[in-house]
Amino acid sequence: MAAGGGGSGDPLAPAGVPCAFSPHSQAYFALASTDGHLRVWETASNRLHQEYVPSAHLSGTCTCLAWAPARLQAKESPQRKKRKSEAVGTSNQTDLLALGTAVGSILLYSTVKGELHSKLISGGHDNRVNCIQWHQDSGCLYSCSDDKHIVEWNVQACKVKCKWKGDNSSVSSLCISPDGKMLLSAGRTIKLWVLETKEVYRHFTGHATPVSSLMFTTIRPPNESQPFDGITGLYFLSGAVHDRLLNVWQVRSENKEKSAVMSFTVTDEPVYIDLTLSENKEEPVKLAVVCRDGQVHLFEHILNGYCKKPLTSNCTIQIATPGKGKKSTPKPIPILAAGFCSDKMSLLLVYGSWFQPTIERVALNSREPHMCLVRDISNCWAPKVETAITKVRTPVMNSEAKVLVPGIPGHHAAIKPAPPQTEQVESKRKSGGNEVSIEERLGAMDIDTPKKGKDDLQTNSFPVLLTQGLESNDFEMLNKVLQTRNVNLIKKTVLRMPLHTVIPLLQELTKRLQGHPNSAVLMVQWLKCVLTVHASYLSTLPDLVPQLGTLYQLMESRVKTFQKLSHLHGKLILLITQVTASEKTKGAPSPGQKAKLVYEEESSEEESDDEIADKDSEVSDLFAVCTSACISS
Amino acid sequence: MVDEENIRVVRCGGSELNFRRAVFSADSKYIFCVSGDFVKVYSTVTEECVHILHGHRNLVTGIQLNPNNHLQLYSSSLDGTIKLWDYIDGILIKTFTVGCKLHALFTVAQAEDSVFAIVNKEKPDIFQLVSVKLPKSSSQEVEAKELSFVLDYINQSPKCIAFGNEGVYVAAVREFYLSVYFFKKKTTSRFTLSSSRNKKHAKNNFTCVACHPTEDCIASGHMDGKIRLWRNFYDDKKYTYTCLHWHHDMVMDLAFSVTGTSLLSGGRESVLVEWRDATEKNKEFLPRLGATIEHISVSPAGDLFCTSHSDNKIIIIHRNLEASAVIQGLVKDRSIFTGLMIDPRTKALVLNGKPGHLQFYSLQSDKQLYNLDIIQQEYINDYGLIQIELTKAAFGCFGNWLATVEQRQEKETELELQMKLWMYNKKTQGFILNTKINMPHEDCITALCFCNAEKSEQPTLVTASKDGYFKVWILTDDSDIYKKAVGWTCDFVGSYHKYQATNCCFSEDGSLLAVSFEEIVTIWDSITWELKCTFCQRAGKIRHLCFGRLTCSKYLLGATENGILCCWNLLSCALEWNAKLNVRVMEPDPNSENIAAISQSSVGSDLFVFKPSEPRPLYIQKGISREEVQWGVFVPRDVPESFTSEAYQWLNRSQFYFLTKSQSLLTFSTKSPEEKLTPTSKQLLAEESLPTTPFYFILGKHRQLQDEKLNETLENELVQLPLTENIPAVSELLHTPAHVLPSAAFLCSIFVNSLLLSKETKSAKEIPEDVDMEEEKESEDSDEENDFIEKVQDTNNTGLGEDIIHQLSKSEEKELRKFRKIDYSWIAAL
Repeated sequence: MAAGGGGSGDPLAPAGVPCAFSPHSQAYFALASTDGHLRVWETASNRLHQEYVPSAHLSGTCTCLAWAPARLQAKESPQRKKRKSEAVGTSNQTDLLALGTAVGSILLYSTVKGELHSKLISGGHDNRVNCIQWHQDSGCLYSCSDDKHIVEWNVQACKVKCKWKGDNSSVSSLCISPDGKMLLSAGRTIKLWVLETKEVYRHFTGHATPVSSLMFTTIRPPNESQPFDGITGLYFLSGAVHDRLLNVWQVRSENKEKSAVMSFTVTDEPVYIDLTLSENKEEPVKLAVVCRDGQVHLFEHILNGYCKKPLTSNCTIQIATPGKGKKSTPKPIPILAAGFCSDKMSLLLVYGSWFQPTIERVALNSREPHMCLVRDISNCWAPKVETAITKVRTPVMNSEAKVLVPGIPGHHAAIKPAPPQTEQVESKRKSGGNEVSIEERLGAMDIDTPKKGKDDLQTNSFPVLLTQGLESNDFEMLNKVLQTRNVNLIKKTVLRMPLHTVIPLLQELTKRLQGHPNSAVLMVQWLKCVLTVHASYLSTLPDLVPQLGTLYQLMESRVKTFQKLSHLHGKLILLITQVTASEKTKGAPSPGQKAKLVYEEESSEEESDDEIADKDSEVSDLFAVCTSACISS
Repeated sequence: MVDEENIRVVRCGGSELNFRRAVFSADSKYIFCVSGDFVKVYSTVTEECVHILHGHRNLVTGIQLNPNNHLQLYSSSLDGTIKLWDYIDGILIKTFTVGCKLHALFTVAQAEDSVFAIVNKEKPDIFQLVSVKLPKSSSQEVEAKELSFVLDYINQSPKCIAFGNEGVYVAAVREFYLSVYFFKKKTTSRFTLSSSRNKKHAKNNFTCVACHPTEDCIASGHMDGKIRLWRNFYDDKKYTYTCLHWHHDMVMDLAFSVTGTSLLSGGRESVLVEWRDATEKNKEFLPRLGATIEHISVSPAGDLFCTSHSDNKIIIIHRNLEASAVIQGLVKDRSIFTGLMIDPRTKALVLNGKPGHLQFYSLQSDKQLYNLDIIQQEYINDYGLIQIELTKAAFGCFGNWLATVEQRQEKETELELQMKLWMYNKKTQGFILNTKINMPHEDCITALCFCNAEKSEQPTLVTASKDGYFKVWILTDDSDIYKKAVGWTCDFVGSYHKYQATNCCFSEDGSLLAVSFEEIVTIWDSITWELKCTFCQRAGKIRHLCFGRLTCSKYLLGATENGILCCWNLLSCALEWNAKLNVRVMEPDPNSENIAAISQSSVGSDLFVFKPSEPRPLYIQKGISREEVQWGVFVPRDVPESFTSEAYQWLNRSQFYFLTKSQSLLTFSTKSPEEKLTPTSKQLLAEESLPTTPFYFILGKHRQLQDEKLNETLENELVQLPLTENIPAVSELLHTPAHVLPSAAFLCSIFVNSLLLSKETKSAKEIPEDVDMEEEKESEDSDEENDFIEKVQDTNNTGLGEDIIHQLSKSEEKELRKFRKIDYSWIAAL
């Protein structure tokens, strides 16, 4: 496993690759992968927005990145009196992205223009840049590096404003206080600087390994009674390389306390941390820590003084592949980054590979201690900008989808008898039905066996086959019987079949009628026979209506188009005969071309229509129609 | 805290991007397009909007690069002004007031100080091409009243005018005529299509025209899909034309490439055709562009093309016919049947998009996310075909289910209807078809709604139809021994006296279903499907129906076609109140009790926000739109606002969006216009400073050597030239932004003057080189003052400007000569 962060072999380099969500609405996710490419993804549509390769991407790989605070863009104009509604509304647009490189330069990349905006080199770092922070108000940029210095940049002029030695060893992380007047830096120890004078205000002990992340967690002190000077009483969080504990520190008025106030424990080294700032005393801090092992741990805690025991997470999120088939077992999918959405109730998760991450918005449910999401990422979109051009997504339409056409049960509400009756019927059937049927079956078998010898084989074997087929639901056996075309045979079979198989047969026939019309034609014969022969038996059944409801609906829906079809039938025959007739006349030269008498009947067209409507496939009639139509046209 | 200004109606989603041809910047980095009253500047690489140039007070009708300065852009508008912009910084430089409505704008590099515009002066449908002389002046607002008439009786569309062969002639087409006006000869030749007289070729009309950039060749597009290439048109008799025919329908636009070797054409087939060497055999295609090509333009550098499409998008295409970027606005091609919905999962606005698609539009980022292909059939883009329309859609169960209804009706009796139920699959993060229902009803489906109660154990969907029935569909277990599956089946069919079912609506807790049958509202128990009660007001058909929410859940609201809004109490089964209001849109807020109703009157649309418990509205805004409002929706806010004043409280939890008949998406904003219009100075502006490249180092060294040599020679000659940085006029010229500089001709005299060695400067140069910064500044200041005075003088008598230059040059001729001598000497020294 290669340690991320520029791909250096340094064991103390932080794991993971530099990545960040754009501020405010988290519309974009910027990720600088180890091959030196900067990719910006749209979080809402999970689409690669742009790709940028710095010119020196192999020598000076990106080690850290930070989005500039959103610039306000004039996108809305007031409504005028004359023409209504004139404005284009958009929230803040984010633009600049600062990239720190392994050789000490800082690149400013414009995501709107898609090009390098400027490069901060002169007077800056001469070693790997470890962390970049934008100042929220002044437009300054702070960076720290392995060359032990912290640099304050004036971004407007692209010049160094101030450069000072931050530590005796490399400075690994920075954070600006919520009021913008202090700066936290982490080297060997964590120091709090006053930005105006660049003097150390407080010291904290820090971690044994390089600190990879620093963050302020509160913007108000816990007890609001005291006057607030902008920094005292605030908590901040630190995570370090190879350290499974995240420490929380408090800035206190006295300079004695240097140890951590409390700590959070996670399963592996933290890779990406995001939190929601708590704005008042009652609101808990929500913290999402992405670990190197691909899990996300969520903490929800009201910061309030000391706590000796390390806190464990309230909720853990993991992602795995489905692994349904025989050969594949579920595999974990690593989560790469997690960011809270602005509503603080859902989390944006970035998972998969660094080159093709999937971004998903997951609603948080604090009650569940463990969430395992099953995701199939095998057929994700390729990470090319070109493929994303069309912006069309095609939802899956496979053959497994259920299809309902008129007549199929489920298309229309099932026909139910009145509620009190159903109960009786149900109880009746429950009490007696099963036992009787077994008896009946036994009886039928008793009857069947002696009969076999006496009657002729052909007709006798059919009812037996049918009964057996219906009872065992054997498809082939039923096919053999039901696909006969001999009407007499059908009649005989229906006559000789046992009564208890009538309803199962009808159900089977209904099922087959729903299928292909070719096979349905055969079933109609059977249906006709069954209904005529066993009409008296059927009429005795108490639950006839629900039993035959689907059949009734099916027939109704099939018959509905009959009239239209017969219209069509008549018209087609007319057309075909006309065509053939004209061809015949062409072939044989007729002697007399001119008609001796042309008789024009005014209502001939209507008549012909009527006649077609009346259908009739009789050729003689049609000929008459043909001739009249010919004359009229 | 947000300032509580008046609530204003603001537009989002932008206007049409495809109104006019898009224009590329000279370096192809930016693309400009008109959008309503604005001009938008997009990056061709990232598809992002870089600037919005606003200043026009009416529809912008034309944009062109300034041929004399390719960093500037001209735009014309119906408000009668031509504006000159610096598009890199997004600054308005000048406004030329013409006075009459401008319908299009053209620029020609050869006509230095004038542009061309289409105006209509007398009758509303007679348009003229005029040349507008843009006077030179340093002031920001200039009157440009000097119009000279060029051509009369032309087509309104700028596609029918083209300037050819470096501005020698202009070609205009209208109906069956092609007229060519030669500027030098001042003559017009008119060519009539011979075939236009007989009826057989009635579809021969001209649709567009383009001129070859270097040769004398005019290409014209026609209604029947033919392209004609006209040559030798100097002679009225000897003219020739050749035909290119591939398009089967009208040619929408034509464009020649920069070198003129290939011709691009496009039409309703949505295929871009590139004709190489103007021959019929050599053609290349870029198919499947999605919608009708409306405009084609070519970048001046020649590396990019772009096509504007009828579905409000611009595709940027590489020279080798590969699409590289799409700038997509809200799709506005067709009418909206589905209304506005919110996808609970992505929080995006969902409505009809491309034909057969649902578009997902992110309101936060004001961008289209994607189009979801629902119908999944090849779209045949042809006039007069009756297409399958996506008529209804609804999200259910927190975005897990999507129901769509598509219909195609050729004749009254021949209705094709299909309902699809899509399940959101979390594993693959996409929709999968679960159930497809053919002909769910015998007639059109009028309403579709899911039961969205939180505790409902079984997803339920209700469809109401004109056939007089409403159907309840439930999700059932369809598992068998082979697979586990769920599917939708019909559970109940209800009707009421054969009336058409017009609306349906579930109560908030899902226990009651209200279905309106024309004038009658019926209430059904959603467990037993028993008819509980009916309400009838005899006030026309029910147009909208909705239940109250939260504390007002005992109320049911119905708006009728006769302009009555009724509120029934479900506990007492009686009418609580009614009001006379012609409601077009009625939408409940999912986060509060509020209900927004938009009424339509002859003047415009008015908004009323009220709670069902009291008939007095919470908030009224009159005249939110002049057009009819068709759809509306409440969008929950991610972060609630905290307005304290009573009138705005309804905007705290949700935002209200509505769509008018012309398909502009509007919403309400409380922010003051000043807050939104942050001046560019306030933006975080980082200066561009890119580091030196190796090339620069080589060149730079060379230059330094040159400089040293120069200095040496100068020292040898005992002449000291003032360093260029120290001359205020030069530094001023080089460091002042281009858009505030006066014209080059004006500056020339001062510049040359400053470079000349006068006796005073010589004496001044006696001062050692290390001048203090302060002194320099002082001198700069004083010089600036002098300059200013000069400028003022010049503006006072601009006509005498040239004379001054002459005088100056005469007076300093000697020095100039001397300078030249020196010049030659140091060149020889190299």
